[in-house]
Amino acid sequence: MRTAVSAVALGPVLLWASVAHADEQPDLSNLSIEQLAQIKVTSVSKQPQPLSEAPAAVYVITAQDIDHSGATSLPEALRLAPNLNVQQVDASQYAIAARGFNGLQAGNKLLVLIDGRSIYTPLADNVVWQLHQPMLEDIQQIEVISGPGGTLYGPNAVNGVVNITTKSAQDTIGALVRGTAGPEERTAAARYGFSLGGSAAMRVYADWDDRDGLPTATANLIDDHFRSWQAGFRSDFGGESDKFTVQGDLFHATDQESRGDRSNARNILARWTHALGSSASFQLQSYYDWYSSDVTLVRQSLATIDNEAQLNLATGSNQIVAGAGVRTTNDLFINNLNAFELDPEKRRLWVYNVFAQDRLEVAPRLSLIGGVKLERSSFVGWQVLPNVRLSYQASGNDLVWAAVSKAVRTPSRIDRQLQFLPLLAPSTDFEAEQLTALEAGYRGQPARWLSLSVNLFYNFYNDLRTTEFLDGQTIPIELLNGRKGRTYGIEAWGKAQVTPWWQLSLGVTTLHKNFHLLDDRMDLQPRNSLGADPRWQVVGSSDMELTPRLSLTIDARDVAPLDLPPAVPGYADAGARLAYDFNDRVELFVAGRNLVHRTHAENGDPGAAQLSKRSIYAGTRLRF
Amino acid sequence: MRRAALSFAAAVAAAWLAPAPARADVSDLAVKAAFLPKFARYVTWPASALAHNGQMVLCVIGDDPFGTMLNQSVTGQQVDGRGFVIRRLSSAAGASDCAIAFVDGPRTGEVLAALRHNPVLTVTDSRSSAQHGIIHFAIVGGRVRFYIDEAQAQAHGLVISSRLLALAIGVNQG
Repeated sequence: MRTAVSAVALGPVLLWASVAHADEQPDLSNLSIEQLAQIKVTSVSKQPQPLSEAPAAVYVITAQDIDHSGATSLPEALRLAPNLNVQQVDASQYAIAARGFNGLQAGNKLLVLIDGRSIYTPLADNVVWQLHQPMLEDIQQIEVISGPGGTLYGPNAVNGVVNITTKSAQDTIGALVRGTAGPEERTAAARYGFSLGGSAAMRVYADWDDRDGLPTATANLIDDHFRSWQAGFRSDFGGESDKFTVQGDLFHATDQESRGDRSNARNILARWTHALGSSASFQLQSYYDWYSSDVTLVRQSLATIDNEAQLNLATGSNQIVAGAGVRTTNDLFINNLNAFELDPEKRRLWVYNVFAQDRLEVAPRLSLIGGVKLERSSFVGWQVLPNVRLSYQASGNDLVWAAVSKAVRTPSRIDRQLQFLPLLAPSTDFEAEQLTALEAGYRGQPARWLSLSVNLFYNFYNDLRTTEFLDGQTIPIELLNGRKGRTYGIEAWGKAQVTPWWQLSLGVTTLHKNFHLLDDRMDLQPRNSLGADPRWQVVGSSDMELTPRLSLTIDARDVAPLDLPPAVPGYADAGARLAYDFNDRVELFVAGRNLVHRTHAENGDPGAAQLSKRSIYAGTRLRF
Repeated sequence: MRRAALSFAAAVAAAWLAPAPARADVSDLAVKAAFLPKFARYVTWPASALAHNGQMVLCVIGDDPFGTMLNQSVTGQQVDGRGFVIRRLSSAAGASDCAIAFVDGPRTGEVLAALRHNPVLTVTDSRSSAQHGIIHFAIVGGRVRFYIDEAQAQAHGLVISSRLLALAIGVNQG
């Protein structure tokens, strides 16, 4: 019933949109080129989305979407993508997935990159969202690809890729200060960007978060009060044929202060792009990333060094991307809380990959994309990850595509080497989880004011993780690949520019899961492997500039109950943000999340889940 | 959810009642669209080019980010007594008449290669293309600026005036 409400509420609005007028822009035709070059523009956010070249299910969150949303953290901003299911676990922890397998343990099939740096950790094969706190005002866009990342992204892009890019330093010149405060959370951030002469520029920033602990529905109340800061810089320089980027961040967090829990992280990245004539370019990127966290007598740390080279080449009707990479990680896991341990305690792992992809125009409007990545890790031998895509440009703005791809989730340290004898034996036989995905989609602009995307997927999984008794009857247990299954679903979303000052968007996703154990196999912890997902979710938003100075954004979501116990009922909730911009320098706003209910549950993790809570805050952004 | 539905209803009502305000800010695309016809005043084409019924042909090849914005920006614009016509093409085929070609989309490199020796001012955008045309838009300090590849312009048989070169962030002289 609740779905019906959102659809009914938006239906007439979308119809009405069809009679609205076209874009209105001020008349620039009488200005000289020098005057045009001096006009301050609203940067990239208004641009049509530069979607990935590969025909795939892509949703792009723009800088303006983030600015106008009530989000104060990266995971909250990701709620804007209809093709992601975002479950808040506690004040700072989130479980985020595309196309299923959501959960703190199960969520190992989504790859996340910030400016080309992977934040997916191979220690446990997950993303520790609370360790990443980029300043939201510096994000240029977030590309959310549901479906296999195919050949172009790093390892473990099984069900999706979240590709976060921050603004070039040239686009963040000047100072920006933001502060928000409310009964549940406080944030502060400052950035200063400056020119280094010519086209070189640099920015430095710092941000700080203070989030109160959340309540619980069970007896399992956790002190999840979280306080963190991050600081960093980005510098872009070079001319037309050589471009350089150097950037880095420092992060520190404390939670459950009584126990002395804390996390630290730091990274530095350098990238060089060299144009080889007008139709080819070459890119080299290296980064170092380190984090450590101490939580209840468990200390873990991971250092990563990654080097990648990529060549882009256009010749005749071919567009070729090829590259190679090597990544090494050095980890540490010391557990003084219980007897679970990694053996060995420290280990260096290696991942090598080479890939090539060609986009071939086989006929006017019809392109064939074929690519393959070969990847080898310390735990498993060479994996072959091919993808084939066909795209047809039906008319100017309408694209129809279909794809077949293969992806794998490679074993993590925890999968292979966690042990607690005589209860849990190391799982030396655990192999990569396999996916073959069939996808098809449409993306286009049926009218000037309306963009639409509809994607269908049918996934075949093999060798999914199961927790089994070693001899089928009694302890020890170990991790094996005892399950296979299928998922399918639809992802559809649309954006309507009703008037130049009003944008509406609506997205719907469905997910059907059908898994079964292989003969004579068991799974003692299905939730740890399959996750707990809603069968559908609906997200909608309305973004209005009521006057040139006053904007109102409203968002709502309706999420079905989770499909594996413990029971988490479906919920619907909404947020809003009202902002007044005094003179392009001073902006004041009030915003709220989860306004409909005082608390609601989003995740059922037996050891960690707390309740999401209504949060209202006021804030300001100053630019000078 | 009833409250959410109500707030949506309220939003819709507010939108009906609110007067339509003029936008205070300008999209970078509007500025780029305004630049395109104006470039023609500062470029000299070989005498053999520009034979198209006395009109300048402004082409958009591949993706079209501008839509009606470009049509508005050429309205009433003239260069040496020539008006503009806009042509939207999916590939370099049929581009022989183009005086200015804004090239965008996944096949930008390919289109640029095909137009290599034509007397056409190719324009690209750093937001969507790593490939550079003769003019390559970039946003610097919140303003729309561009790089100019003078060496590439020469290969196309074009001469670019110093007034335009003076506005470039960088000029490649080969």
